[in-house]
Amino acid sequence: MDLEEVKSVARNARLELTEEELREFAKDLEDVLSYFSVLDKAPDIGKHDFNPVPVANVLRDDEVCRDVDAGLLRDSMDTYQDMVRGPKLT
Amino acid sequence: MKGHISTEKLAALNEKYLPFAEFAQELEDLTDYPPKFHFSAKDNICATGFQARAGSRILEGYRPPFDATVVRKMREANGILIGKTNMDEFGFGTFCTNSAFGIPRNPHDVERSCGGSSGGAAAITALLDKHVALAESTGGSISCPASFCGVIGLTPTYGRVSRYGLIDYANSLDKIGLIARTSDDLKRFLPIISGPDKKDPTSIVQPQLQLGGFKVKSVAVPEEAMQNLDPAVRTAFEAALEKLREMGIESHRVSMPSLGFALAAYYVLATSEASTNLARYKGMLFGVRGGHIDQSFNDYFSEVRSANFGKEAKRRVLLGTYTRMVGFRDRYYLKALAVRQLVIKEYNGLMEHNDAILTPTMPFIAPRFSEIARMKPLEVYQADFLTVPPNLTGMPHLSLPCGYHDRMPIGMQLVAPHWEERRLLDVAGRWCSGFDIRFPEVSG
Repeated sequence: MDLEEVKSVARNARLELTEEELREFAKDLEDVLSYFSVLDKAPDIGKHDFNPVPVANVLRDDEVCRDVDAGLLRDSMDTYQDMVRGPKLT
Repeated sequence: MKGHISTEKLAALNEKYLPFAEFAQELEDLTDYPPKFHFSAKDNICATGFQARAGSRILEGYRPPFDATVVRKMREANGILIGKTNMDEFGFGTFCTNSAFGIPRNPHDVERSCGGSSGGAAAITALLDKHVALAESTGGSISCPASFCGVIGLTPTYGRVSRYGLIDYANSLDKIGLIARTSDDLKRFLPIISGPDKKDPTSIVQPQLQLGGFKVKSVAVPEEAMQNLDPAVRTAFEAALEKLREMGIESHRVSMPSLGFALAAYYVLATSEASTNLARYKGMLFGVRGGHIDQSFNDYFSEVRSANFGKEAKRRVLLGTYTRMVGFRDRYYLKALAVRQLVIKEYNGLMEHNDAILTPTMPFIAPRFSEIARMKPLEVYQADFLTVPPNLTGMPHLSLPCGYHDRMPIGMQLVAPHWEERRLLDVAGRWCSGFDIRFPEVSG
């Protein structure tokens, strides 16, 4: 796997990697991905589910309630005049 | 009042840094009237009064304002939460060497790993009399440390135990379970933590937990699981099969070809799901914050993530991001989902003729840290080849101590059909009545 490819995956994942990390991960990813190719030989049984056991949608009526105190959540974030502060959207 | 302990008192007790035996004695005094008991929670399970860091620097300082459902249920049952246990960052590891907060040592030999990722949970259970630990498994994180530390690890069926309040690793694989010293404790605590919880939709569809009414008479042993084993593990396992036969449990050698695909399928799914779950850590909502709020969105997030994720977390995020990318999704991700169904089908087929599947838990005894340092990432992943298959399928499984080599414990792993935890409890009870589990000597 070439370094540019790792760099582009890292950019997607919002990770900045040093040159050393890029080289190391390129090698690791290559090893693991070539191991993944064993999946090409697996018989396809023609079905796939996203969960290991069947799950069901269970709907309920909307109800107004308080789950977790919003103040407690806000206390763990960076706030300014009762608003959450974040970086610029550019 | 005897048996009562407040959070403040517990904090004071922890801060005293007592010699271990004295700490254990103080706990003993505090919990010495019957309904009271002490337990710990893996650090990815939220509890008020403690940080929840999941072994990651990026969650440093995060104090959840609520209890996970499992913690709430244990506390309501008169349990005293005495602490959070160390783990590989977000559960990413087999040896508990990937935590940002130090490496727990194996209580049987401090030069060796206690296994991962619920390493701290297994170590404290081996050390502390009458303790029970809430642990969590995605791909073997209960079985592996239970095996290396010589204690009992129970991973219930996917969906049996509510995950509300668990810090997600991979949503289609994560399961909360128990690490215990006795089979009686599994029987005591599994009903407490199980059951539907409207806060976790995957827990809603479960049939009721049954504790008895099934006597296991036969187990299947897949040939594919008997390859690449350390000779000491093979010998202990063969001796255990003989002992099971004397107990009235026959074993049959079978073939299970899909085991050859389970590990790859698991790592595709686990890293794909992990890479999306870890997108929420960006220095705003939980834990550490970035230093430069005046940067652009992407630069701010990237800076915080790059500075605070450990190496294995970065590796898995990269892998998972790659396998979800356009062009690779069909080849890896969808194929892995199909392989999961294939493995479920093979397990179910084998369990039409046998009551459970039995293999060793890990292919070797707990390795030394010097040996782990020489392993490549792929070799570490491959060490999970016996614990991954039941985890991939969501089937309940149990690791039991079955022998010793050079004083180090060896474990065997039993797998039952979905929702059939009672088969595991049956074997656990019968096995433990004839096998002496050796706990490490604790001094000072």
